[in-house]
Amino acid sequence: MTPLQSRLGKFLLIPQRLLNRERQQAVAHRESAIHSGLTSPFSNRLLSNLITLVLVVLAGGFLAAALVRYSPGFDSIPEDLNPAISAETLRALHQQHDRENVLPVFYARYLAGAIRGDFGFSQNLKQPVTELLRQRIPVTARLIFWGTVGGWLLGGALAWMAVWTRRTGLEAAAFSISGFFLAIPPAVLALAFFFYQAPLAPALSLALLPRIFGTLRVLLEDCYSSPALLAARSRGVGPFVIMARYVVFAITPQLIALFGAGLMLAFGLAIPIEALCGVPGLGALALEGAVSRDMPLLCGMALIVTLLVTLVHAVGDVSTGFAGEHA
Amino acid sequence: MRRALRRAAACVLILVGLCALLATAIAPYDYSRQFRETPNAPASHRFPMGTDDLGRDRFSRLLYATRVSVVLAPAAALVSILIALFFSAAAGLRKQWANQALSGITTLSLSLPWMFLFIILRAVLPLNTRPLASILVTFGLMGVAGWGWPARIFTASISQVMHSGWLLQARAAGISPWRIACIQIWPHLRAIAIAQFRVLIPAYILSEASLGLLGLGVAEPLPSWGNLLAELQHPDRIHDNPWILAPLALLMLVMISLESLHPTTFLHTTREVAV
Amino acid sequence: MRWTAVFCGAGVLTLAALFSAGLSAAAAPHELRFCLNGDPKTFDALHVSDDNSELVRFLTGGVLLRINRVTDQLQPELAESWKLSEGGRAITFHLRSGLKFSDGSPLNAEDVARTLKTALDPKQASPAGDTFRSTGNTEVRVDSPLDVTIRYSQPKPGIDRLFDTLSIVPEKAGKLPASAGPFFVSEYRPGDYVQLTRNPHYWKHDAAGKPMPYLDSIRLDIQPNREIEVTRFLRGETHLVNKLTPEAFDRIVREKPAAARSLGASLDSEFLWFNQSPSPAVPEWKRKWFTSVAFRRAVSASIHRDDIARVVFRSHAHPAAGVISPANRFWFNASLKELPFDPQSALRGLAAEGFVLKDGTLRDRDGHAVEFSLITNSGNRAREATATVIQDDLRKIGIQVNIVTIDFSSLIERIAKTSQYEACLLGFVNVAIDPMEQMNIWLSSGEQHPWWPLQKKPATTWEAQIDQLELRQASEPSRTLRKKAVDELQRIVAEQEPIVYLVNPDYLTAISPSLRGVQPVTAPPQILWNIEYLTLE
Repeated sequence: MTPLQSRLGKFLLIPQRLLNRERQQAVAHRESAIHSGLTSPFSNRLLSNLITLVLVVLAGGFLAAALVRYSPGFDSIPEDLNPAISAETLRALHQQHDRENVLPVFYARYLAGAIRGDFGFSQNLKQPVTELLRQRIPVTARLIFWGTVGGWLLGGALAWMAVWTRRTGLEAAAFSISGFFLAIPPAVLALAFFFYQAPLAPALSLALLPRIFGTLRVLLEDCYSSPALLAARSRGVGPFVIMARYVVFAITPQLIALFGAGLMLAFGLAIPIEALCGVPGLGALALEGAVSRDMPLLCGMALIVTLLVTLVHAVGDVSTGFAGEHA
Repeated sequence: MRRALRRAAACVLILVGLCALLATAIAPYDYSRQFRETPNAPASHRFPMGTDDLGRDRFSRLLYATRVSVVLAPAAALVSILIALFFSAAAGLRKQWANQALSGITTLSLSLPWMFLFIILRAVLPLNTRPLASILVTFGLMGVAGWGWPARIFTASISQVMHSGWLLQARAAGISPWRIACIQIWPHLRAIAIAQFRVLIPAYILSEASLGLLGLGVAEPLPSWGNLLAELQHPDRIHDNPWILAPLALLMLVMISLESLHPTTFLHTTREVAV
Repeated sequence: MRWTAVFCGAGVLTLAALFSAGLSAAAAPHELRFCLNGDPKTFDALHVSDDNSELVRFLTGGVLLRINRVTDQLQPELAESWKLSEGGRAITFHLRSGLKFSDGSPLNAEDVARTLKTALDPKQASPAGDTFRSTGNTEVRVDSPLDVTIRYSQPKPGIDRLFDTLSIVPEKAGKLPASAGPFFVSEYRPGDYVQLTRNPHYWKHDAAGKPMPYLDSIRLDIQPNREIEVTRFLRGETHLVNKLTPEAFDRIVREKPAAARSLGASLDSEFLWFNQSPSPAVPEWKRKWFTSVAFRRAVSASIHRDDIARVVFRSHAHPAAGVISPANRFWFNASLKELPFDPQSALRGLAAEGFVLKDGTLRDRDGHAVEFSLITNSGNRAREATATVIQDDLRKIGIQVNIVTIDFSSLIERIAKTSQYEACLLGFVNVAIDPMEQMNIWLSSGEQHPWWPLQKKPATTWEAQIDQLELRQASEPSRTLRKKAVDELQRIVAEQEPIVYLVNPDYLTAISPSLRGVQPVTAPPQILWNIEYLTLE
């Protein structure tokens, strides 16, 4: 108990007994929970997390579908403005459009299909969504993969440079580089790369660099200023040994969380990059789907994105939570 | 060295802010005035940065655009923070279900297709909405879209506080929950909220720029950094009039100044609005 | 310090490695390459309704006869000859012998008859069949393996010309159906490209007996971003850009002058119109303005069309004179003059209707300030710029215009379904020279009648007149009399201005000098209409 607390207690004339009792209750509650096997706090949390995950993913898909269904422009079809098309044909096309899009029916049928791995049929591109995703995912995955690899290498090197060397000059240089790339809108960066006919992954790397650098530097700084590390360093242990033995081990949970968040960020950045530079990936597909109000396509993508985001959060929570419990 | 840098940054920001606020007085022309005899003119005495493809003075447009971005990005950040604070209060309830629901809602909001909302936004508003109201709504939506991350941070710090010894003591002392919230939790949270607010501002400046480049931000004829940057999609024009890069340069200057004032940049706070 | 150097080196190497990854492969020698602005929605020739599918259909489909885009004459294709009979009610085709689809299966009169029956079947909702459908019975008869007759119960003017758009389809159509035209679709990766390969069974040979087409393949890269399309052309990665924005055209003139071609005013037009329908979205007093011809003419006379053509379209457009572009030499009414720019007479006309301009604001008789919203589609720079020019021009006569740029789906819904708009700025991409196809636009009962669709009966006498003229031109066999009706329609529209025509943009294109045999025309498919004759050097 801190001095302030006890002073506060005295000041407010709270009987010390009362305080102690509440504390004991809390401890007892926790103990009993741990000892009762299945309902240990961890597995309990896992189960409720799992339920939340499923609910969130279902809600994510439904929200996206509802958003598209009730958005302005949903009741139009591109043929509406084509004078060569007769009134009967137009009516038939509209009837078909309406039939396919009764929301509850659509979503129930869609989920039933999605469980079997069938994400419906794109209304705009007239292709199975699964097929479209199969073709587009590699493009975006390649961009994100190389972008992330580059971003981590550059950001990591810079963070390490800023922390390890302890030279103000290098530290300032690291900050300036990171600050410079943080100040450029990622889309502008991508456009510049595009117009110089360079591949786009490095642009994504440079956009990720400052964002990874910022967090990693703080993590590393905490780590390197710990007494154990300082002692090791003063004994002349080499930088790679320190890195392998102390640093990586100490910050692994945070690294996992950061890695997940970095992936999500890379995906978010990939969308405008793809749209502006004409890369036929997932981002361009999503944008096209949005413009044409392609309900099956957007619903499928929303399900997948929600699932990924939830998983990334869960992994982040669990890994940092573990670290918290073991600390 | 660092102090000098900070001072310089503060000066830059104050200067840009003043220019933005006094745009009406400084700008030689109205942002929408068209000099149709001189479209795409190079820089001259009459037009310090030349004119755009409709013959509008680039310098005046940049000033007005700065006003839009400089005033509205903090406003959007404020919206995010307020929503995040509102929702993360649930963490203070100390109920498992409330925490789960909160984490579910944040996750949902982080995975919603926000881009879609920006596409349909103008179509949802009434037809004769004034341009100003329409951009307020755009930035407002940006603020709403971005509440997820700060909420996660607030929730984490609230639950940390809730489990601290001194709060336990306060509760044991029978202090009313409302009072606890006001005098125990809020001062702790306030610092985090202010820090979050400060890092969200550059994030929203960048968001607006990205949206503008995609043609989803502020609509013509009103200028903003985003829709001025959209011209960078025509790189051949830069050759004729390098002043096209002025909005980018100004944006970078402001971003760098903001960073120098407040150097910790965490990944989760610099997230741009995306899908 | 040493370690820092190592890390920096690693960073540089990574970047270098990333740079060298993913450079594009070189093209095949006789492959024509260009970009489509979106995915073709279908490869089924009978269900084509979008431009990209239509282009693929044109390049792959085998048609019975073709309109020569330069001479405007019909020329034989799969049909060796044809004969109109029974006063334009029936047409008989005689096919060439030994015709084959691209997969080698034979093509005969049965295939033609089946294609026609499918197109005519209302259950199929085939856009290709729409122009062929007619009231009363339509009979399709196979006379012999090479002869087929189509008979209508009523005369159908210009029936022979319709067959230019009907591709004969095989019985069994897979995902990538076989076709009887110069090429067939051999590969399709959505969002990426469509690959067309030379049809080895195409019937046509040149005078020297060399089989056509000359090109081995066509690669259509799907590229929604027009800026990138132009950049790729300038890099030499593609051979043509079909339609250029004025700005891109100027860029090509600067960087690759030999490739830039302007054919003068195109068939397309840019225009705006007011919502005259009794929609709840339009207040009664605004509807009063919109239905007043004086108001519409005043707005029209206050818009500086020359400025739109000069500033927005960089002098690559011509002020419009009315419904039909002057580029359409036969159907354009030559007695029409350019619509005038005269804000003073506009104000006089408005004053006569009780409008008063005071302190820079125009007010109607009841004191309402004149203000309306102008919707247009986002993403079209020229159109957004046109809207700002109009806004600026109308401000000068005291009218406040609120520009509303919305995405295309929302725009279509508003103008075609819900009528929730006040005024709309749009362009019309004219695909047909003959005004026949515009029936749905001009009939007051039509679904696509812009200012008030699906009217029970025409609201005004001039609309009734337009209806009559439209019906007359659609049923009249004589081309001269049809032209007379269309001329009269143009005169009425120029007088009443239910649609305020602004400019006819020029047809601007870029063609690589290495592509030979090109005879570009303004009607689609502008550069590719004689695809089998094109060669690459």
